[in-house]
Amino acid sequence: MMLRTIPLVLKQITRSPIRSGLTVGGIAIAMFLFCFVEAMRDGVGEATNASAEDATLIVYRQNRYCPFTSKLPQYYGDRIEEIEGVTSAVPVQITVTNCRASLDVVTFRGVPVGELEDVLEPGWRIADGSLAEWRTRGDGALIGEAMANRRGIGVGDRFSAAGITVYVAAILESDAAQDRNVSYVQLPFLQETLKTGGTGGVVTQFSVRVDDPLVMEEVARAIDSEFRYDEHPTSTSSEKAFVGRAARDIIEIVGFATWLGWGALVTVFALVANAIVLAMRDRIRDHAVLQTLGFTGGLIGFMVVFEGAVLGIVGGGIGTLAAWGIARVGHFSMTMGGTNIEISSNPMLLVLGIALAVALGILAGVVPAWRVSRREIAHSFRTV
Amino acid sequence: MTLIRCDKLTRVYQGGVEEIRPLDELDLAIDRGQFVALMGPSGSGKTTLLNLLAGIDRPTSGRLVIDDQSIGELSRNELAAWRADHVGYVFQLYNLVPVLNAYENVELPLLLKPMSQRERHERVSAALEVVGIADRHAHYPRQLSGGQEQRVAIARAIVTEPTLLLADEPTGDLDKASATAVMELLKRLNQEQGRTIVMVTHDTTTAEYADLLLHLEKGRLLEKEEAST
Repeated sequence: MMLRTIPLVLKQITRSPIRSGLTVGGIAIAMFLFCFVEAMRDGVGEATNASAEDATLIVYRQNRYCPFTSKLPQYYGDRIEEIEGVTSAVPVQITVTNCRASLDVVTFRGVPVGELEDVLEPGWRIADGSLAEWRTRGDGALIGEAMANRRGIGVGDRFSAAGITVYVAAILESDAAQDRNVSYVQLPFLQETLKTGGTGGVVTQFSVRVDDPLVMEEVARAIDSEFRYDEHPTSTSSEKAFVGRAARDIIEIVGFATWLGWGALVTVFALVANAIVLAMRDRIRDHAVLQTLGFTGGLIGFMVVFEGAVLGIVGGGIGTLAAWGIARVGHFSMTMGGTNIEISSNPMLLVLGIALAVALGILAGVVPAWRVSRREIAHSFRTV
Repeated sequence: MTLIRCDKLTRVYQGGVEEIRPLDELDLAIDRGQFVALMGPSGSGKTTLLNLLAGIDRPTSGRLVIDDQSIGELSRNELAAWRADHVGYVFQLYNLVPVLNAYENVELPLLLKPMSQRERHERVSAALEVVGIADRHAHYPRQLSGGQEQRVAIARAIVTEPTLLLADEPTGDLDKASATAVMELLKRLNQEQGRTIVMVTHDTTTAEYADLLLHLEKGRLLEKEEAST
């Protein structure tokens, strides 16, 4: 019997287009905001939450927080590799077009030609172009797929940023946000271009692999201890912790935005509840007529709750799909101090957004539904 | 054969500190197939009695039996199911659902019945045909005249083939021509289909269509007379 009333509810929604449209529009906007904030949170979580497999340390200049000011002698790499537990230490030069938080920062990472594989996170693939060409061309660049998509760059293009012009030799696919959003170039090329003394000069940081994830902290302490009394003391941390520290401002902004997300959910609840309460007020007579025809209070209550759920699913679906689609097509990355945090386009966001909108729609309809189901018919007719 | 029996039927409302007693120990019997007009001044208990017969209100005391069912003993949900099976109700102000067209309004009570869409369609079409409004089936209430709206309301009331058709001043909001058409329709339903009809009216012309007139006053049956027609 309940199923047979569903078309009736849908007619009530579609045949009040202004009220339904305004409610659905409001829900869509609120859910768009919520889902975009969730996408940012998801990206921050992915970039900063440590996992048991993490085995990469970043060695940075102590008390420096920007690639322009972190300068470490390249020969530190040889000393780091002698520390027990270290598998490799690759010097990396980083240049960015903007040191502050931005959605489209170009980050160049200069790495020694023979050590590229040691820097890349496991699971990487060449989507287009050739790694051999990257090795043989001094100005060759290996571009992360997200950056390539964002900037519309393809293999064979010449590409300039921060005064550096490179030739796109290959496009890199990777599961790691850091690799998807940077441009790898040869270290000597980047050093020459930046006029910092060529090979054997200064680098921004070292990317250090350890042989056992369990000894990460121990190795980090050993590295910092090694250079404690040097001219350029270091600060070593896991890659996730480094991202968390480097992108602290972004994380704080995203943390604040989380409140906006919660506010958006409250807005969804208020919009649906308001729409339903107003509709119930308008339909006192209609509901009394339905009861006179034999509809039970429970059945009318179901219709009210179902209406809330439909408004939630339509508005939530539009807003969530829009947020997810923009995040997916836009390939946005929040970059700060040369570290990248991608705005996630995880399909689970779709499920979460729509499920929350439906749940709030149902919740908003429960109290009006209960009240409607308890109304006395004769009393309803007397009050209208 | 008696369809409706009221024994000392009483309804009391609490109006602030004052007790309002629109029905006061009413005794009444109505036979199956009768067309009954309830008449009387305002406050005489006509509409209260009609609401009790429709199962949309409950007696305070006394006993109401319709088609061998004691109405006061039914639970809320049982009463709803009983209404769906036994009662068709025609309101003075039609009370069609404004967002539904004529066809959909008539279809409403059939949504509660376990029947196929095709069967529903046949029943709705037949009811619209009976009230002579089949050509307006796709019109919304705002696109219909008062008389047409009342015909749709009657179609909605008879589509389930109820035991009892109740009408609360069905011509009260209509012009003379529309009122005559509606009353002829009700009379035809009574005569051709044998429907039992109980109608509240103030209008003696309208009451003439009934074959039994019941005059109420202060919640009691004052007079019972056979109609001249």
